[in-house]
Amino acid sequence: MYYIHTIASITHQDSFQQANVWNTLTPLTPESTLITPDYKLFIPPAALRRLSPILRMAIAAAKSCQENNEDKIDAISIGTALGCLTDTEKFLVTFHSAQSDTLSPTAFIQSTHNTIGGQISLDLKNHSYNMTHTQNGLSFEVALMDAILCADDGKKAVLVGAADEAIGFLKQLQPDIIQDNRELTSGTTCCILSRERKASSIGIVDCLVRAETSDWQTDISDFLDRNETKIADIDAVFVSQLEDVKYVDHAVCYIDYTGLYYSASAFAVHMAYDKLTHTNAKTALIINRVCGNQLGAILLQKDEAPH
Amino acid sequence: MSNLREELKAQIIEQLNLEDLTPSDIVNDGPLFGDEGLGLDSIDALEFIVLLDTHYGIKVPDPNAAREIFHSVESLASYIEKTKA
Amino acid sequence: MSIYITGYGVISSIGNNVDELFTSLKAKKTGIRQGEKAFTTRYKVGEIAFSDAELHDHFQLKTEGSRTALLGMIAAKEAFVGHELRSDIRTGLISGTSVGGMDVSEREYANYLNNTTHNLQAYGHHSSGTSSAQIAQELGVTDFVNTISTACSSAANAIMMGARMIQKGWLDRVIVGGTDSLTSFTISGFRSLMIFDEEWCRPFDETRKGLNLGEGAGFIVLESAKSMEKTGKQPIGRLSGWSNASDAYHQTASSPDGEGAILSMQQALDVAQLSPESIDYVNAHGTATPNNDLSESKAFLHIFKGKVPPFSSTKAFTGHTLAASGGIEAVISLLSIQHGMLFPNLNHTQVIAETGLQPVTEVISNVKVNHVLSNSFGFGGNNSTIIISAV
Repeated sequence: MYYIHTIASITHQDSFQQANVWNTLTPLTPESTLITPDYKLFIPPAALRRLSPILRMAIAAAKSCQENNEDKIDAISIGTALGCLTDTEKFLVTFHSAQSDTLSPTAFIQSTHNTIGGQISLDLKNHSYNMTHTQNGLSFEVALMDAILCADDGKKAVLVGAADEAIGFLKQLQPDIIQDNRELTSGTTCCILSRERKASSIGIVDCLVRAETSDWQTDISDFLDRNETKIADIDAVFVSQLEDVKYVDHAVCYIDYTGLYYSASAFAVHMAYDKLTHTNAKTALIINRVCGNQLGAILLQKDEAPH
Repeated sequence: MSNLREELKAQIIEQLNLEDLTPSDIVNDGPLFGDEGLGLDSIDALEFIVLLDTHYGIKVPDPNAAREIFHSVESLASYIEKTKA
Repeated sequence: MSIYITGYGVISSIGNNVDELFTSLKAKKTGIRQGEKAFTTRYKVGEIAFSDAELHDHFQLKTEGSRTALLGMIAAKEAFVGHELRSDIRTGLISGTSVGGMDVSEREYANYLNNTTHNLQAYGHHSSGTSSAQIAQELGVTDFVNTISTACSSAANAIMMGARMIQKGWLDRVIVGGTDSLTSFTISGFRSLMIFDEEWCRPFDETRKGLNLGEGAGFIVLESAKSMEKTGKQPIGRLSGWSNASDAYHQTASSPDGEGAILSMQQALDVAQLSPESIDYVNAHGTATPNNDLSESKAFLHIFKGKVPPFSSTKAFTGHTLAASGGIEAVISLLSIQHGMLFPNLNHTQVIAETGLQPVTEVISNVKVNHVLSNSFGFGGNNSTIIISAV
């Protein structure tokens, strides 16, 4: 078990630094926007002036996690499907339309995927392991697998998170390239985990990543088998695809609450965490099929054993 | 010639995204770089090179050699005046 | 648990495979020359001569993909020659890339800006994860595919992640490395940073001015002992140490004392349970920027307590291939161990005055090389070190 000690999200829900997001969830409407904190409270102005939306939200979430966690973060693992799109597009425009020989470097510098993790390390003055994973719809899950490896290595406070941002251009890619017509949004979730049980008794039991699945229901059954449980015994199921709600009658489609970004399963972890914390539910399963034939699954549990 | 200094301040605010500052917050001979100044860094030095090129057509080939030019609004303005003269 | 290396593959401007790379290294023949593409002509680059279509035909690739993906397929396939996929060996692919399919996207985005025909299908290649999925498809790997994107340390980090997954028992065998093609995006980006040398780059030289970019891919196959029992493969080396640490100093520049580099090298030595004196050769990151080479040199002096082992940067052969560099340099490290050779740091005439460190400048043969330390440092202060050892 990999206990979650603190979790923070910035999404289209009022999720940042709220005690219980599970209680206040409302499905997205066309009017929904990203609900952001006052970033000046989290990021010094000298740094803030350059940062794109994805960097601002990820740094604020990471910083909130560090502030709520006694131990200093000793490993960082970030997942992002499409990375820093605002700066990527900005630099594409810069060099394609440059009239003179000099080019503004800021967007280029901040366009690489690991700007997110890099800026977190800079902001927290943190010298630890710092990894950035990107695998389309499974970007958060692969980052989580790395975090589990770090926890197994004895790290006491592994920051694992995901961030993705939507830019206007992306809409043109629906539905041919992004084969999903749901509203494209931005969001981030960061949490701190380790093998040590502290105040929180909720944690991640296991994580499944399948690069390609031909029969996802069988893969999920096998995943639950290896964890000695079955779907009927899971109290809360979160799915990415609305049609998968039929798979289990009490499943919730988390994309209804986040909008569509490929690492949104990280926010499903936040939903599950708060549900396990504030209700009688003891187990939760997240089934992520948000991108093509990729399959991700995360099993969470409330540890009832006496400490 | 003080117009050039005011013009520069506005351009600096725009080029470096110093959205919380107004031109009056920048002192002509105050240091731009480092913690005692506006807290600008080496990325900003590159942005100054872009600024000088796009607004004044002045090419600065090496950011490290230009540290003195970028010290303050005053030094930037003097450099522009000297180069353009 | 030992992590064995049972295959290697490479493509770069100094050769289309491991043999050609080895021949160029021995002949001190650089692959860097004046660029021949519209966006490279201004600079000296380590460019691969084949067009995308020629790569596809010449290497008989079955899968479509961006140039980054095609280069990755070529090197990963060479690494996997003689291996076969089987159901009782869980096989993964972890690839590092910084640009992914940007080579395709940037061409299409120019059309978009110019209001000419905009082919949206082109963006299907864009994501870095997709380039790895395309490489995996070419190889038939379906168990596990992942992409690491930490700029210039991506391949080293992919290698490290693979080793840790084998140790955990999640995989038995994994193809790891990195790939990046030259793009107008990165050429323009490094131009905006003003860190190009318009002449041949001179790593660790007092007169160094900046880097030359290159393109390519390098992959190795990692295997557990249990997997080798089944495959009967003979190891060509071991991955004995690895580490990643943050410099936490600046988004693009290295700290003056190389704090992150010191941490990553020390921790990699700790994982390998080796003392600094046991390192026989260091394949440096050595980009030839004034900042990197001074910072890395200082980190060497600190880690090796003044007695720095023979070291060189091979980027004056290949150019800086960004996310691929750690993969290509892992292959070079393996060649050093296999053949008992040290490869030169080209274009070096004058030591850096501040450190006085003299890199290897000639091909040195008939030396016993048991342990090679290889550094890869990326934007975001992302510092990685791997150690490759003789079996």
